[in-house]
Amino acid sequence: MANLKEVRGRIASTISTQQITKAMKLVSATKLRKAQTGIVQMRPYEKALSNILVNLSDSIDDERLSAFFNHKDSGKTLLVVITSDRGLCGAFNANVIKKVKTLIAGTYNELYNNKQLEILPIGKKGYDTLKKDGNLIFNTKHINLFQDLNSINANAVANIILENYLKNEYSSVEVVYNQFKNAATQVLVHDRFLPVKVTVSTETTLNNDYIFEPGKFEILQELIPRTLKTKFYRYLLDSFASEHGARMIAMDKATENAGELLKSFRLQYNQARQAAITREISEIVGGAAALEG
Amino acid sequence: MLEVKIITPDTTLFEGNADAITLPGAKGSFQVLKGHAPVVSNLTKGEVKLEQNGKTETFSIDSGIVEVLNNKVIVLV
Repeated sequence: MANLKEVRGRIASTISTQQITKAMKLVSATKLRKAQTGIVQMRPYEKALSNILVNLSDSIDDERLSAFFNHKDSGKTLLVVITSDRGLCGAFNANVIKKVKTLIAGTYNELYNNKQLEILPIGKKGYDTLKKDGNLIFNTKHINLFQDLNSINANAVANIILENYLKNEYSSVEVVYNQFKNAATQVLVHDRFLPVKVTVSTETTLNNDYIFEPGKFEILQELIPRTLKTKFYRYLLDSFASEHGARMIAMDKATENAGELLKSFRLQYNQARQAAITREISEIVGGAAALEG
Repeated sequence: MLEVKIITPDTTLFEGNADAITLPGAKGSFQVLKGHAPVVSNLTKGEVKLEQNGKTETFSIDSGIVEVLNNKVIVLV
């Protein structure tokens, strides 16, 4: 039987752990709300962009824009791996890393062996874990975006990717990240960022009365990178919201588990206490009997 | 009266009515009044000026795209 003092110590430490996990859950809940607001705020922007794009879809096959759409034969593949900066969020980061490792072992094996696979880690956790593998080519140090996630910082990173892609450094750019479904569900997604998959628009409500200033091509030249940057920012926002959702759930579970642990410790404690009392009484009774006898 | 929206990916900077809006177009600054023809234009670094009841409000932008249709002006920054 565990002694009283030991159990009391365990109870105290479990209580303080529970307080921490509870606080972390609350913090994550607040951050999740903030991240969700970010996604909601972005929707009108995305919608307006795609509205304009629909009206320009007839000039999208302009040859000068083909770099965005055509598959190139040579060049490296860039894999953007989006994880979080901090842990304690369940399988959130582990899932992404597992997916990347599967890709390296499978689809990208040839590229990887020829050192044609470059990794751009966003989020400290992915960077730390993947770096241990050694053989991966990193084109940068860990990128710190999640401390202050906004479109300006995200666009700066997206700009570098786009520039290098247009300089023919990369033949394709792919992204592995957690897509946000709801607070409890994240979907691991492996998406092609570049070249852009052309979706044939069946939209018939073309409004061709627009005056295009300075011209359709110039606008598309501005609009396509802008749409891509928005898409990139969306990846980050999704991952950010997923991270906090995952952490919230993980911390909720941890708090619950601590509660159960606490229950069993309290039972143990009371049993030990009662046993001690019973022993003391029997000792006293025994002692008294011995004196009388 | 124009219905104006100025949006960035992070937030909506302005949403409301205006009498006139001056924009830094790629080929020079231009003003949009009620009944303007539908236009899609690139914007360069400069200031967006909104006029409403004699009051002017300005926003500085680095680049952007504007869409004007049926007295609705959407500025994407």
